[in-house]
Amino acid sequence: MAEAALSFERVSVSRDVETISRPSLSYWQDAWVRLKANTRALVSLYIVIALGVFTLAGPLVWQVDPSAQDLDQISVAPGTDRAAVIVPRYQPWSGATARVEGPALQAQEMTAPTVSVDIVGEPTTQAVRIQWDAVPGASGYRVYRNIADPAPDDHLGLPLADILTADRVSFEDRLDLKPRYYFYSVVALDRNSMPAPVYNTVATVPTRVITAEEAVARGLADTPDALRLGDTVHLALHPFGTDYLGRDMLARLMHGARVSLFIGIVAPFVYVLIGILYGSAAGFAGGRTDQILMRFADFVVALPFLLFMILFRILFGIEGGDSGILPMMIAMAILAWPAAARLVRGQILQIREEGYVSASRLLGAKTNYLVLRHMIPNTMGVILVTLTFAVPSAIFTEAFLSFIGMGVAPPTPSWGSMCNEGIKTMLTHPHELVFPAVFISITVLAFNLLGDGLRDALDARMRSRE
Amino acid sequence: MISGRGHTPFAPRPLAAAGGTDTAAAKPQPAPPSSGADIFNKTAGRDLLLLGLAAIAGFVLLMAVLAWASEATGGASNDALDPVTGTVTVALSTEPPQLDSTRATDMVSGQVLGHTMEGLLRYDQFNRIVPGVAERWEIDSERAVFHLRADARWSEGSPVTAHDFAFAWRTALDPATASEYAFILYSIKNARAANIGELPLDAVGIRIPDDRTLVVELERPTAYFDKLMAFPTFFPIKESFYQATDGRYGADAEELLYNGPFAITRWVHGASLRMERNPHYWDQDRIRIQAIDHAYITSDINAVINLYKDGKIAMAGLSAETLEDALDRRWNLHRFVDGSVFYIGLNHRPERVTSNLNLRKAMQLVTDSAELVYKVIKLPGNLPGESLFPVWLKGVNGYFRQEYPAPRPVIDIDRAREHLARAKEELGYDEMPPLIFLTGDNPASNKQSEYFQEVYKSRLGLEVKIDRQIFKQRLAKMTAGDYDMVLAGWGPDYADPLTFGDLFASWNQNNRGRYANPVLDEWVAVAQSSLDPEERMQAFAAIQRILHDDVVILMNYERGSVYVRDPRLQGVVRRAVGTDPDFTNAWIEG
Repeated sequence: MAEAALSFERVSVSRDVETISRPSLSYWQDAWVRLKANTRALVSLYIVIALGVFTLAGPLVWQVDPSAQDLDQISVAPGTDRAAVIVPRYQPWSGATARVEGPALQAQEMTAPTVSVDIVGEPTTQAVRIQWDAVPGASGYRVYRNIADPAPDDHLGLPLADILTADRVSFEDRLDLKPRYYFYSVVALDRNSMPAPVYNTVATVPTRVITAEEAVARGLADTPDALRLGDTVHLALHPFGTDYLGRDMLARLMHGARVSLFIGIVAPFVYVLIGILYGSAAGFAGGRTDQILMRFADFVVALPFLLFMILFRILFGIEGGDSGILPMMIAMAILAWPAAARLVRGQILQIREEGYVSASRLLGAKTNYLVLRHMIPNTMGVILVTLTFAVPSAIFTEAFLSFIGMGVAPPTPSWGSMCNEGIKTMLTHPHELVFPAVFISITVLAFNLLGDGLRDALDARMRSRE
Repeated sequence: MISGRGHTPFAPRPLAAAGGTDTAAAKPQPAPPSSGADIFNKTAGRDLLLLGLAAIAGFVLLMAVLAWASEATGGASNDALDPVTGTVTVALSTEPPQLDSTRATDMVSGQVLGHTMEGLLRYDQFNRIVPGVAERWEIDSERAVFHLRADARWSEGSPVTAHDFAFAWRTALDPATASEYAFILYSIKNARAANIGELPLDAVGIRIPDDRTLVVELERPTAYFDKLMAFPTFFPIKESFYQATDGRYGADAEELLYNGPFAITRWVHGASLRMERNPHYWDQDRIRIQAIDHAYITSDINAVINLYKDGKIAMAGLSAETLEDALDRRWNLHRFVDGSVFYIGLNHRPERVTSNLNLRKAMQLVTDSAELVYKVIKLPGNLPGESLFPVWLKGVNGYFRQEYPAPRPVIDIDRAREHLARAKEELGYDEMPPLIFLTGDNPASNKQSEYFQEVYKSRLGLEVKIDRQIFKQRLAKMTAGDYDMVLAGWGPDYADPLTFGDLFASWNQNNRGRYANPVLDEWVAVAQSSLDPEERMQAFAAIQRILHDDVVILMNYERGSVYVRDPRLQGVVRRAVGTDPDFTNAWIEG
């Protein structure tokens, strides 16, 4: 043996073969590496982080009260002109009267060719005042307003008022005036208060105005004395426009995000966690325990969510006008977990029978080790998929409940309630619907893509595969 | 796919391609699997393309079929108005719960009953009281005598008699009927006593000397008794028919007998209600259309506007949001005041903070109804509320509000804050507890309640909690006094200021804030029983003054509405009191 040994030269053992060329990666490091390689997931992650910043830090930067009503700028779209002229306070106008001669006549007996209509004073968004000469035989007048020229087909537009006394020959329009063209028409009414073919039209563009007191109240100036009549100020800036009560959309989106994201993230985390614990317990125990636990889960699925929501409201003594966020969360946590529990249980049942689990058990692994090392990482994919679908559905549930008045209490906004309000003015002021809808869509999409990426990254079976 | 450990780190390739080429390269002999995969890929691509094309073609075909179908069924403008058959198609906002005139309370029931029934008197197109079933009548301070016309007929041909009226009125007063509008009959002698069960129904002061004469003994002089006769509770019911329906009177088209210009010929509950001309109606010359088809029952204002756009209906109400679109389309717009007055009702029960006058005054001084109407509601026709008595009510000679102007509303935030400070002192609060603001659950009340919430918060620092409830629940909470403020409204039942004037009398069931003021009660009593117009109007002026000075309510607005009507449809009457809209005088032009 010794000879034989001598006849061979000992091969120097090359340590290099055994050297690990790359540093060993932990489970989470590996997941992070693979997540970084997934562009979609990474972008989604940045969007989710940005949403978090928007929600938490946004209100510190954009310090506008989301419930403050800027009634000078109701339903304005982003980028609308904001220049306004300072004018004195609104003074009621006594109007003009005329002496009426002769009785009221039938329409066909009225001989006057037209009504001579004039604008009185400076037309402003505060008020437009018109006055006309009395028409012989008229019993009253009807005032119309249009936004386009009535001339081609005598389309007078919007009837603003009926003046049913013959001696009043003036009208003051204060209805939702904007700095745009208006065509005022005055029609004489006959003895039976029916319109006669006697009318005339006057066109005007009111200037946008604001009083010094209002300007101070809106925070545009420090004292009323700092402003002189005729000065031009710029109304408050609303980068995303305003809603139907002149509330700042950007501030509302920020504050609404708090509610929507809070519900959308916290509620699913709570009930998915419950589902994981419940499902893994059932799956791991198996047998009779599993049967009993899962039948109970089936029973919970059959419980109506809305009913429980109402019962919790009563239980917590929540009256109308209070926020229903807490009962909503509890109802969700109590009723929505079975879906996650079922998925996790199925997964655990499957993994329990896998060869590597049996091997691990043979090698003396304890239950704790089995669960933490083999079961949970292998179910992570399923859990994350459940979670990513739970987030958008929770956001939608919140929106729905806010709509039927069981969610947030006004004036607190949430994206869902903003959408529901915006949809009423969808055709005229689309921005009121578009912004919250876009935010909900982006959030939901980002969570879905991020979850997709996380599932790939965290799936233990994908580990070290490229 | 090969997934050996040694391979992949050095040769990362697209997975599908790697599988194919590796197999081919590894095996020298002709490799059917690879070409098979190619063929498979090719056929799959072709199949997918074909499938996609087929899907698009199918979609286009479906669209074409649908377009053709909608052309065939709709599109024709005769849907809304058919001059040949004389049919007017409109939409109804809700389904009438039932059409028993003794139990009807809502406006839609009133609208349908106003077309199918006729009282002793009715309103004409100029809102004057004119003869209906009665051809003559005399009313003095003690009794009213109605002489019925001989040719008034029920829709089955039998004559309408005085007995039919007596039966209907006694039925409404019967405690077993539990009619919510029984109180409107209280000006008849012993009616109230009979309604609360103290006297038998026979004791009610109605006498029938003969089939065509009805004598009504009055409890007290009633200046407005003629105006009551056009109200649905006073419509006749034929006793033999009522008994034959076995408690189902008014539940269906067949369970009704009609004496008005129209009769219901088809009533599909929840879907449609069609009325056709009643051939037995006595005044045939007045009626110019043959049928009114309520082909749609929906309260969705956008759905109604779309139906009008499509030419399916002849009339549609507009919202502030749709006005601009309507102007762009150059639609034929009309406006009318529907007679209702809206206000914030305050709870005057002593345990509520709103029972404090200084708090109420503070709120009144910041409640700007002009701002609400011109900037928030934005619908012409609505008038800033200044008084519970709307502008269209007639006074002694002209309009009540011109003869007795309402106190001018004043907005003064500084004075309001002084009142609030005093209120806090009197109530012993450093900080006011939140006020519960009860509102309805429709878009309009949401908007208004959120507006007011911010008004009281920013101008007075008052916390307001909005409690949204459906109509029934809101009414229940109002009756129970479970609120501080409530968005409320009141529509007139008859064309006399008293329909508003008695609303806050301490004994009125509709005074849900339980406001009790003996001075106001006294004035209401004067207005009820006086026959002197001057004295009555002075009583109403005094009530108007008390409502303002004691801040019983916070006025919001007088409701108006804007609607679009097919220009070919003429003679439709919109009115504040009575049947609205009224098609009985309508005709189709062209």
